[in-house]
Amino acid sequence: MKNILVIDDDAIIQNVLEKVLVKEGFHVEVAGNGKEGLSKLDLMKYELVITDLMMPYANGFEIISKLKQHPNTANAAVIVVSSITHEASVMDSFKLGVDEYIRKPIMVGELILRVNKLLSNRSSNA
Amino acid sequence: MTGILTRLGNFYENTVFLYGAILLIIYALLALFSFLAIRTHLRKESYTNYNNLLTSDLAPGVTVLAPAYNEGLSIIMNVRSLLTLNYPLFEIVLINDGSTDDSLAQLVREFELVSVDFAYDAKIKTRPVTAIYKSKNPAYSKLTVIDKENGKSKADAVNAGINIASFNYFVCTDVDCILDKDALLKLLKPVLEEPSKRVIATGATLRIANSCEIDNGVVIRMKPPRQLLPRFQEMEYVRAFVLGKMGWSYINCVPNVSGGLGLFDKEVAIKAGGYDPQSFGEDMELMVRMARYSCDNGIDYAIRYIPETLCWTEAPATVQVFMRQRTRWARGLAQLMYSHFKMLFNPRYGRAGLITFPYNFFFELLAPIVEITGIIYYIYLIVSGHVNLPYALILLVFVYTYSIMITTAAILWDQIAFRNYRTWKEVFYLCSTAFMEFLLYHPLIVIFSLRGYYYFLTGKKHTWGNMQRQGFGQSKAAG
Amino acid sequence: MHSIFSGFNTTDTATWPWLDYFTGLPLVIQIAAVSIVVSVCFILFIQFRILQTRISGYRLQKRLDRINPIIDAVISDQVILRNDLMADGASVDNVPLDLSGFENPVFRRSANRQLLLERLISYRKSFGGKTGALLRRIYLELGLEKMSFSKMKSFRWNNKVKGIRELTDMDIIISDVNILPLTNSKRHELRSEARNAYIKLSKNEPFKFFDISTEPLLMWDQIELFKTITTTENIAVPNFARWVTYSNNKSIISFCLKLIVYYNQTDAAPAVVRLLDNKDHVLRAEAINCLGKLKYEEVEQQLIHIYSNQPLRCQIEILKAVGRFETGKSAAFLKQEFLYSTDFDIRKNAALSLVKSTHDPALITELMEASSEENQLIIKHSMNPLIKY
Repeated sequence: MKNILVIDDDAIIQNVLEKVLVKEGFHVEVAGNGKEGLSKLDLMKYELVITDLMMPYANGFEIISKLKQHPNTANAAVIVVSSITHEASVMDSFKLGVDEYIRKPIMVGELILRVNKLLSNRSSNA
Repeated sequence: MTGILTRLGNFYENTVFLYGAILLIIYALLALFSFLAIRTHLRKESYTNYNNLLTSDLAPGVTVLAPAYNEGLSIIMNVRSLLTLNYPLFEIVLINDGSTDDSLAQLVREFELVSVDFAYDAKIKTRPVTAIYKSKNPAYSKLTVIDKENGKSKADAVNAGINIASFNYFVCTDVDCILDKDALLKLLKPVLEEPSKRVIATGATLRIANSCEIDNGVVIRMKPPRQLLPRFQEMEYVRAFVLGKMGWSYINCVPNVSGGLGLFDKEVAIKAGGYDPQSFGEDMELMVRMARYSCDNGIDYAIRYIPETLCWTEAPATVQVFMRQRTRWARGLAQLMYSHFKMLFNPRYGRAGLITFPYNFFFELLAPIVEITGIIYYIYLIVSGHVNLPYALILLVFVYTYSIMITTAAILWDQIAFRNYRTWKEVFYLCSTAFMEFLLYHPLIVIFSLRGYYYFLTGKKHTWGNMQRQGFGQSKAAG
Repeated sequence: MHSIFSGFNTTDTATWPWLDYFTGLPLVIQIAAVSIVVSVCFILFIQFRILQTRISGYRLQKRLDRINPIIDAVISDQVILRNDLMADGASVDNVPLDLSGFENPVFRRSANRQLLLERLISYRKSFGGKTGALLRRIYLELGLEKMSFSKMKSFRWNNKVKGIRELTDMDIIISDVNILPLTNSKRHELRSEARNAYIKLSKNEPFKFFDISTEPLLMWDQIELFKTITTTENIAVPNFARWVTYSNNKSIISFCLKLIVYYNQTDAAPAVVRLLDNKDHVLRAEAINCLGKLKYEEVEQQLIHIYSNQPLRCQIEILKAVGRFETGKSAAFLKQEFLYSTDFDIRKNAALSLVKSTHDPALITELMEASSEENQLIIKHSMNPLIKY
């Protein structure tokens, strides 16, 4: 079973992503803010992290930068889900090694396709 | 001889009566205006979608300026918290004002900073900047750290930040203040929705952080302070912001945007000469100078306030520290009134000259003096047996109940609008404080204000010449 | 103070002794005494209102805590977790929808239906595509649009705005008869909301009011309109050059310039170029900015030609535009401005554009050698990838 960490401060999004991904057969951990997100890194190895950019305690950029250094997530794929469209945010995300930048509103079907594609690419490379 | 004395006494009585009556009417009007302003604000707020601004490519950039002096204990947490603000295009400029602790070393380590060759135009003169740092890590690309020689004032530090700010608006805060995550969005809205005027500054409500539950720079739960002195200040802040500033904002006569949190139009701030490092009340002084610059240059300006609490600050908890703060404020006010005295009743400065400035002069600056002379006169009347005790008591009770009414009204406006605090007990706890203000808190303020005026009159007069050059020299050159 | 108005005593023949006493008092004391009573009553009233506010806030919270899980359960069951929807070719309009969960008696109360409506909208703001379309269908099948339409009939402007906002959030068509009168409302907020809705939902001429509007389009309205225009699916994007050329409304022209950039309407460039003769320097600066972002290189020489007659703001925009063109043809011009201008911002922008548009390291070294200390710092600043602006 593959592990996915979802970090978003919006309860609706947390809830929906968790349900959808669990249905797809993943193990999902959910965090509602940056601090919680970082603390969940210690729990297990993750194959994928889905994160928002603007959250309390630590913003998404900082989380991405830290998870890239964390042994449990250093090799995980990262998807940013944000409503921010500003070029600077997108650029900073990719500089930090993000794999996908998805804008809100989320298309659930598309998100699932991307998640599966990213994870199958990873496992075929490994 | 006694005839003259009686006449003088009558004149004094009449003046004081008029003074008191006007003050009471002003408070009643402010309560009304603030109610109307808050009602309009709430109506708009009920459908406003800040997400449109948050996700817009058209959102104007904002620079957040945070000066810090020996804040090593909390600086990392505070910067991290500033980086989580909700806004699409902003930068954080932290000004390390020659701290003697390890603030800078901590920042460099935590945020992977390197010194960069940063070219900027020092439009406002400050103490020399030693180095400017940026982060190697793209995660912190919004952060710039300025290291400068200590200028012994917040003003000098902020000015250095204004010089390197990249965007047209800057938000000024203190590094030990806690900001609401939507602070930038909400402060910018009045600027963007103003139909005809140029909004040169916006402010929001400040609250006391002392007893709030705070976790790593995020307010989890608002609570009125448990200690009496900070609780008095919380009550005073609610009254001054929710009722006072909102009322003034309704008629576009805001006297001052508080130093804890305010958004400013950078161009006007620079042309007005920036903050004055010699001033003891630099935020109000800058506001007056910006208003003055705008009038002198034909800018139809506005200063706006929003009723929401967007900033929490640590209030002095001991009388000692509180005294220092209030003495400083009073001294700043006296300085300001002295150096901008020309604005008083000067129609050239519009509402600022005809309403805001006279109000501040008569009812802020002179109030402690009027009160103290009143008390002395009263004692004289009592001693000489001229006082009608029942009448005197009725008047006293009247003023007492009136002041409680105004304060309670302010708390109600705040509650209607935002339902701050979790339980009704906490609200009534705060309300009860109003009953003690008259006897315990108010006398302190009067005494500390007089202390400030005394320092102003006897203190270092030589700073004046300095200040005049700083303030007016630049604004004239710019105009 | 008793002496002040002692002459004001009225000689009323009152029947009650206390009223007699009261009317015998000086006017000031009378006023004070009345005020005390009024104040005390008012304080009690305010305390009561505070308690009331607290209680109603508490009740709302309790209702939310009770209702939201019900709503979430139905939505997750009927929308999020269904298998048939994600299959190709499945149509949102035909899939079976079981909304019996919303037959719960709590939803008979209209205040709770409003909460349901708001919850649906917040879901729809976060989820698009088929999920969003299905949420819209739920909104319609529950008849919630009737609530939104009835808000539009309210006499309060803010309720009208709310109603329009709900309908546009759910992409419900409002007939022109209902929306057009509101686009001329005296209330600014209502007017701009109605226009926003019209642009989003009208099938006829969504941009009609660009032609007729004479008042300025506020920045806040521009941001909302921009969002609406750029996120509405199936909107017929016109050529915005039309208003750049013919509109007399500066804010509409300025707004169209931003849209031209967003949609990269290169064929609008000639119309934008004509703005360079406009008397308003702010508009000129915006036009130059737009040309730069369009990378309309044809105008490069013209910009350099008019450069010396422009105010600072336009000059800086010209320097930026030349940098954006990246043709490298204007290196000499930029170099000259960089080396000899007295204005700091001009030198800085010239350097930034030079560094951006030239790919010749020799030029930079040469410049470094010819520069003053401050100019060298500017070059280093411009070349540092860590510094963005």
